[in-house]
Amino acid sequence: MTAFQIILLSSLGAIALTIVALMLRGAVGRIAGALWLLVLFAGMVFAIKPNLTTTIANALGINRGTDLLLYLLVLAVLYGFLLIYLKLRRVRRELTLLVREIAIREASRTTDDHARAQDDADREASS
Amino acid sequence: MALGTWIVIPVYNEATMIGRVVRELRTVFPNVVCVDDGSSDGSMEAIRRATPHALRHLVNRGQGAALQTGTAYALRHGAKWIAHFDADGQHRIEDLVRMVEAVASGSCDIALGNRFGGDTSDIPAGRRLLLRCAVAFHRMVSGIELHDVHNGLRVLSRAAAERIEITADRMAHASEIVDLIAQSGLRVEQVPVTIRYTEYSKAKGQSWTAGFRIMFHYLVGRVLG
Repeated sequence: MTAFQIILLSSLGAIALTIVALMLRGAVGRIAGALWLLVLFAGMVFAIKPNLTTTIANALGINRGTDLLLYLLVLAVLYGFLLIYLKLRRVRRELTLLVREIAIREASRTTDDHARAQDDADREASS
Repeated sequence: MALGTWIVIPVYNEATMIGRVVRELRTVFPNVVCVDDGSSDGSMEAIRRATPHALRHLVNRGQGAALQTGTAYALRHGAKWIAHFDADGQHRIEDLVRMVEAVASGSCDIALGNRFGGDTSDIPAGRRLLLRCAVAFHRMVSGIELHDVHNGLRVLSRAAAERIEITADRMAHASEIVDLIAQSGLRVEQVPVTIRYTEYSKAKGQSWTAGFRIMFHYLVGRVLG
């Protein structure tokens, strides 16, 4: 086993343990956690048997295993960006609704105060 | 009619102009709602001095968001007609009066200002071309024939304002409103108006690059809903 295989395996193992801990605390859902563990497990298998990626790549019509990993990485990153962008849009929308509600409430409070002060002044004037 | 009409003005860094615009408006329409969209130049103080209906966005959310905030406030205060008006003094009150009359008469649900309806000699050539492009673009994507889609002067009946909710926070709201009108089947009237092109209002106008940005925001909004 090479030095890098040891680094890779221990890193993947540490991430897997973190995810298990988060799942036990309920911070990560069961399905999401299982998917993460599956990906990490595949990473460990490939770390131990690097040639396996080339075998799979060849079966898919790609020459090198590293190329296959690169393509998958590109897809994953793009999908990740899309998810983050959609999330950001939702958060912006919620922020707008929040800012709007605060603006309306603040203004209603001050105009109500004005009206009340006016009423009080009118009452004093008439009494 | 003047009492049932609420004027909504989105304000972003307009401290030098907004006080005069609001005071002039209030001689005809007493209910003027100003929404300060997180300005940093003391616009809010100017607004507070000019109208009791001064709203403030704690953080900048864009002109579309500010319009929707002011519209929601006006609806909660029982507005019968709601007008959108620009803060930079480019619109004329006499145009607004005619538009309110058009909606109040019941002949339409929404009146849109159309700067190409009458004398157009004052409109700078570059501005005219940009706006014409926007109109052609809308005819293509929405199939609706309007002469001046990015005019900030609009009057909506209460029913129309309740049905049209602006979700495009930034400048694409004008395009969004066109689509909402096309879908809702509300009756539109395009009223000829004159835009006062002063140095101040020209500096506040949108550039070509902004035009493309607006188009992009609009298209993303349409695809993602």
